[in-house]
Amino acid sequence: MRAASDNSNATPPRAGLAQIAGYLIGPAFLAFAVYLFMSSRHVDLPSAPTPVVTPAQITIAPPRTALGDPPIVTIGGYAQRCNACHKLFKTRDHPDRPRVQHLNITLRHGLNNRCLNCHDRENRERLTLRNGDTVIFPEVAMLCAQCHGPVYRDWTRGAHGKTMGAWSPEVGQQRKLICTECHDPHSPAYPPYVPLPGPHTLRLGSHSAHDVHEEIRRSRNALLHWSSERAASTAPATGDKTNPAHKPKERR
Amino acid sequence: MPLRIYEGDGGTPGDCAYASDARGASSQSFSSARRGMTRRSFLRRAAGATGGLAAVAGALSPLLDIDDMKSFSLEKFLQKHYKEMSPDDMKRALDRIANDVKQRYDVRPHLRDIKPMDGVEFVYALNLSRCIGCRRCVHACVAENNQSRDPEIQYIRVIEMPRGTTDIEQGDHHYDRPTVPDEQHYYLPVQCHQCDNPPCVKVCPVEATWKEPDGIVVIDYDWCIGCRYCEAACPYWARRFNFTTPSIPKNKINPDMAYLSNRPRPKGVMEKCHFCLQRTRQGRMPACLEVCPTGARKFGNVLNPKSEVSQILKTKRIFVLKEELGTLPRFFYYFDERDPIAMQTPLPTPPSMPSKHVGGGA
Repeated sequence: MRAASDNSNATPPRAGLAQIAGYLIGPAFLAFAVYLFMSSRHVDLPSAPTPVVTPAQITIAPPRTALGDPPIVTIGGYAQRCNACHKLFKTRDHPDRPRVQHLNITLRHGLNNRCLNCHDRENRERLTLRNGDTVIFPEVAMLCAQCHGPVYRDWTRGAHGKTMGAWSPEVGQQRKLICTECHDPHSPAYPPYVPLPGPHTLRLGSHSAHDVHEEIRRSRNALLHWSSERAASTAPATGDKTNPAHKPKERR
Repeated sequence: MPLRIYEGDGGTPGDCAYASDARGASSQSFSSARRGMTRRSFLRRAAGATGGLAAVAGALSPLLDIDDMKSFSLEKFLQKHYKEMSPDDMKRALDRIANDVKQRYDVRPHLRDIKPMDGVEFVYALNLSRCIGCRRCVHACVAENNQSRDPEIQYIRVIEMPRGTTDIEQGDHHYDRPTVPDEQHYYLPVQCHQCDNPPCVKVCPVEATWKEPDGIVVIDYDWCIGCRYCEAACPYWARRFNFTTPSIPKNKINPDMAYLSNRPRPKGVMEKCHFCLQRTRQGRMPACLEVCPTGARKFGNVLNPKSEVSQILKTKRIFVLKEELGTLPRFFYYFDERDPIAMQTPLPTPPSMPSKHVGGGA
């Protein structure tokens, strides 16, 4: 200890400076920490509130309700059987005659544009096959199969269509949906669907959904695009680069 | 000459007086005073120690906010790995988890541990000709499997792909159109493929994830350490990490739970699609299949030759994603002979050659 004191005594000015520097290291780090803390800017990441998906949007009900046997339709506000009218009124096979009933039906089934191609002329509560046989409405698959052979083949194997309930008849009740529970027989193509919201990552503020898609398509990197837009908006005297509706959520 | 220290230090007169007193004592006591505590050094050290303690306390303070600490129990800490639990251990674990759920969500869950069925290996098939990209499956999955709503965690990712390619790099899962399908795209839903050669299982350092006899790759959420190796190893982007405690509204909890599947997850663990094993091991279809409005999704037992999936694998054109990686997925994609979406609206004709009659005037 004494030797150390003597050593330091030999070079008094340098030792003094070193000690001052030693005392200053702590406060210097503290000041630097305070500087870093004060100078850090809170970044507002682009985000939007989580969209709410209602149970009605993810219902497991089949897309349509197929007609049963006997088929009941609502005509003029009354639910009634087909033959309630069709037994009374004579069937006229005149395809070009304007319709006076069933006006809610749009027939968009390709070449198949005659009612009596499928509906039986004599008994309107049955469907007619090409060989003259008739089937009840729940057995409509036999009728469709006459033209849509490969689809019918896939449906019987399970590659087409939908099976509800158990994944095997051995482990529980199964129900195979029939053609008309998904397809409207009068216009069998699927209608367009409104997609449910996509993943929340990088959803950009309050831009409209379509804009976001176009921007992402353009830049392929939403975060990069956002940062460049942000740089442009913070640059002075560049006018109206920012969308006034763009108010990013404050990060907590 | 110890006094020099105080001079160099710019010491106060009080210090000098104290040092002078020390110098006046015997050399023995002088050196002990020099080596020991002065008022100045005491203050300095005390300030340093206080600051250090404050810094340590500040650094540790986030631990107070960990939600899991509230439900921390020695029992949970000492809980064994799923495969090493005896029936009694499992019963105790299920009771503990059920109580946690009751406490957090006011719902008494129907929680149990469901074992795989004998002679059953699950396989999924998806008809790309029929998928319209409506994302019903994504949100039915979220509702069924108690996934976090904020931040969102979704097991299924529907990728909008340009027609004519299977290069996923060209796909876009952020698509947000007024209506789907778009005629120039097809839709490729991706979820856990339950690989028979799973890279995620190989990289797990603690064996918190493994493959069950019925083909499902499962995770023991109480054993997972959250290292995210599996997330990096998965070539299908199928695994999700809980960066925060999952937040699920109390009225959205699905009380039908299983230990290895959809019980609420803690913060800091991985999760992923498990083919809805709380449903499928009891004979029901997965939630994503039940909700699909086009019937593009098919599920079943591949060991039964009469099952739908067996028929599909035998008769349809099938492929798996990233086959070259050798992961042997249990998730197959297939096509129909004719594509209804492409047939419905023909592709736009390419821009016609400039006509001589337009604008030429010649």
